[in-house]
Amino acid sequence: MKSTTTSPIITIAGLTKDFGETHALRDVNLTVEKGEVVVLLGLSGSGKSTLLRHVDGLELPTAGDVTVLGQSLPALRPKALRKLRGRVAMIFQQFELVPSLTVLENVLTGALSRVKGPRLGLATWPASLRREALTHLERVGLLHRAYNRADQLSGGQQQRVAIARALMQNPDVLLADEPVASLDPESSDVVMKLIREIAAEDGLTVVCSLHQVDLALGWGDRIVGLRHGEVVLDTPASGLSKAAVMEIYGRVATTTTELTVIERELLADAPRGRDAAPALADGAAS
Amino acid sequence: MTATTTTPGSATSGAALPRRPRISTNKVIAGAVIVAMAGFAIWSLAQIDFSLYNFQRSMLSLAKTIRLMDPISFPSVPDLVYLISLTLGVVIAGTVVAAVISMPIAYLAAANTAPNRTSRVIGRAIGVITRAVPDVILAMAIGLMFTLGATWAGVLAIGFHSIGMISKLFADAIEQIDEGPRLAIRAAGGSKAQEFWSGVFPQVFPSWIATALHRFDINVRGSVILGFAGVGGLGYRMYIDFQQFPQGFGPALGIAIVIFLLCVATELVSSTIRVRLLGAQPTRRTLGDALMRQTRGRRKTTTAATLSTADLTVEKAMRRPWNSSRVSSTVWGWVGILVVIGGFAMSRLDPNQIMWKYVWSTIMSFWPPSTGAYDTQTFVTAIVQTLQMAFAAALLTFLVSLVFGSLAARNIAPNGWVRGAFRVFLVIFRGVPELVLAIVLIIITGLGPQAGVLALAFGGVGLLGKLIADSFEEVDAGPEQAVRATGAGRLQVFGSATLPQGLPSLLGNTLYLLDTNIRSATVLGIVGAGGIGFYLTVSAGLTKTHPVVSAIIGIIIAMVLVVEGIASYLRSVFK
Ligand SMILES: Nc1ncnc2c1ncn2[C@@H]1O[C@H](COP(=O)(O)OP(=O)(O)O)[C@@H](O)[C@H]1O
Ligand SMILES: [Mg+2]
Repeated sequence: MKSTTTSPIITIAGLTKDFGETHALRDVNLTVEKGEVVVLLGLSGSGKSTLLRHVDGLELPTAGDVTVLGQSLPALRPKALRKLRGRVAMIFQQFELVPSLTVLENVLTGALSRVKGPRLGLATWPASLRREALTHLERVGLLHRAYNRADQLSGGQQQRVAIARALMQNPDVLLADEPVASLDPESSDVVMKLIREIAAEDGLTVVCSLHQVDLALGWGDRIVGLRHGEVVLDTPASGLSKAAVMEIYGRVATTTTELTVIERELLADAPRGRDAAPALADGAAS
Repeated sequence: MTATTTTPGSATSGAALPRRPRISTNKVIAGAVIVAMAGFAIWSLAQIDFSLYNFQRSMLSLAKTIRLMDPISFPSVPDLVYLISLTLGVVIAGTVVAAVISMPIAYLAAANTAPNRTSRVIGRAIGVITRAVPDVILAMAIGLMFTLGATWAGVLAIGFHSIGMISKLFADAIEQIDEGPRLAIRAAGGSKAQEFWSGVFPQVFPSWIATALHRFDINVRGSVILGFAGVGGLGYRMYIDFQQFPQGFGPALGIAIVIFLLCVATELVSSTIRVRLLGAQPTRRTLGDALMRQTRGRRKTTTAATLSTADLTVEKAMRRPWNSSRVSSTVWGWVGILVVIGGFAMSRLDPNQIMWKYVWSTIMSFWPPSTGAYDTQTFVTAIVQTLQMAFAAALLTFLVSLVFGSLAARNIAPNGWVRGAFRVFLVIFRGVPELVLAIVLIIITGLGPQAGVLALAFGGVGLLGKLIADSFEEVDAGPEQAVRATGAGRLQVFGSATLPQGLPSLLGNTLYLLDTNIRSATVLGIVGAGGIGFYLTVSAGLTKTHPVVSAIIGIIIAMVLVVEGIASYLRSVFK
């Protein structure tokens, strides 16, 4: 791993998370430096979302610690936690815009941690923040849609609005949870490029979960592979080939059935999950 | 899997035997509960005297009344405008008060917004209690705090009573929101209040308005009986006219006609707003479902709102264009504000009418509850009588609605004409406020539960018939086609495919009806149908007997809770 003089932006140490009987994360250790663009790769159910949610303090660890921007999240009081969340932006697979609000209002919700009290309606936002939100919309190429209802936009456009909302937080860290899993290939390209560009321009630290090797290669600086809640791969992305990733997965896969499943899941945008997981279990059992 | 050939009687390969699945104990208990309730309903109906003799007597008394009464007449136009504006004002003001108070209560009650378990219980309890206290009783009881003829009692009573329904439906709507946007706001560092106002409220706003509008309809009907508690408006005028029996019967009928038309008009307006503005679909199963689901529907999308792309700059985009969606939301916003302001103005609330020195003593006069001068026997008899009315009416409604509702369903009615005719019947049935009907019936048949049962049953058909028709229309058409394909007749298709599928919602809707019937039966007692409501009326007007009022209200709450408990149990078993 790279050694830098500055302290890392995200430090995850011995993170374990159980949901009842389910072990979502097991002893995860991970350090992300400033400006790094990390891809979390893994099958559905491998714990990607759970890991990202811990980094934003949306889940509390069963064991272990998560330190973001120098603050240990489990120990934070609600107010400090909210403040920290303001510096960590998140993008979701389903965009999660408020459907009945205008695009501009949705972007403005990114600034909620900067204002006091609740807001309802455009008029309740100061002009300076509205101007700033419009600038972000211009950046994602959707200025002309500012006053449309969010649910009038296509999926790709909604995700770009979500990116503008994230930018509205003036974040240090950008988390993206399968940001293109609900999009067609063309929009996927646009959105992935946009995230990369913005990260570079603003010097953001990015952790983005994906389940397709094709997308991950050549996009991130570093690839972290998750399997059954454990980190099984952590390597710089440069020079890495699809075959190499598969080879690493091949080493961790214990049966040929498992390998087939991994191949199916990681290489194609084939229907994910559900049927794959039991097949994996069957393969392991036989 | 290994294939096993089974021969009947080969008990050794027990596991593979195609056995009739065992019926769960829950189903047995639930079945017994339904049989018991149906039995009680049949017994109740049998107890009520619908004999020919009674009918003849009623007809004679009707004929006599018609002979003696003044002709049907209407108030002068200015008088009419005044009365209508007063009635609408009281109802609007009361409903608005309830809608506003319901918001924090729903927030406390909804599982996903409640800060903790206790707040949930408190929120739901407030809903149940406010729903159980009939507005007319409250109006009578708190009437003592105000000068004669003041509308305060009406506004406050409507405001209090309506919290129950609005907060419950609003809490249900909050529980059904998409949690994603709310989570996104939390992830961006939003506070709890910001989460609600930015992530939850925009999603439930249409349902809040729809619920309030729906409650407004109900309150317009209910305003009739508020007149009997001395709250000014159409109902009060009708009450005064009825006092001059039999001559006043004519003018009172005139008012009844005005009230009927007003009810139809407000229902038309509010359902138009619900459907057009809020994108609601008009046909839904239960009322609760209806409101929650319909408001989740999206408005038709318009792309006209897009800013022109030609050399668009941030500065230019700072000014929101006046496109159709902005115009319509601004216009509707102002209409809403004007209606609310106008409502309060028309309700003619005057702070000078509050007699402050009696406020506290009146409130305290309700505590502690006591049966007063009555013995337990009297109470029990009265409660049973109220329950009988509710059950008997529910049974009558059920039988008639099953026929009417079926014939009003597209997939059952023999042709479009029949369906259309029965739909119109149902609309008319719904249009007549049951209280007007009860009052008229009581005058025809004399005091007693017959009139109450008939009035309740009649009003119920409008509601249950429509719900049944809608739920039959919503069943899966596949099984119907399959049965029809075997050459089955119309009735056979209905019996083998449509009815079995519609049964769960039939049960749910009937239980819902029973629930409202118990409350309505209490209120009918106030206008002379007997039962527990009679004792409420007698006790509400005097401070001294207020403890009896709170005791009776406690009993009503208990009855409603028991029925709600049974209903939710049955629903969970027969899901
Ligand atoms: N809130 C929760 N309650 C119970 N189980 C959960 C919850 N969130 C995630 N899980 C479980 O944890 C595991 C990891 O889930 P997730 O992090 O969503 O995986 P991924 O995002 O990689 O698809 C899965 O088995 C999932 O069912
Ligand atoms: Mg996930």
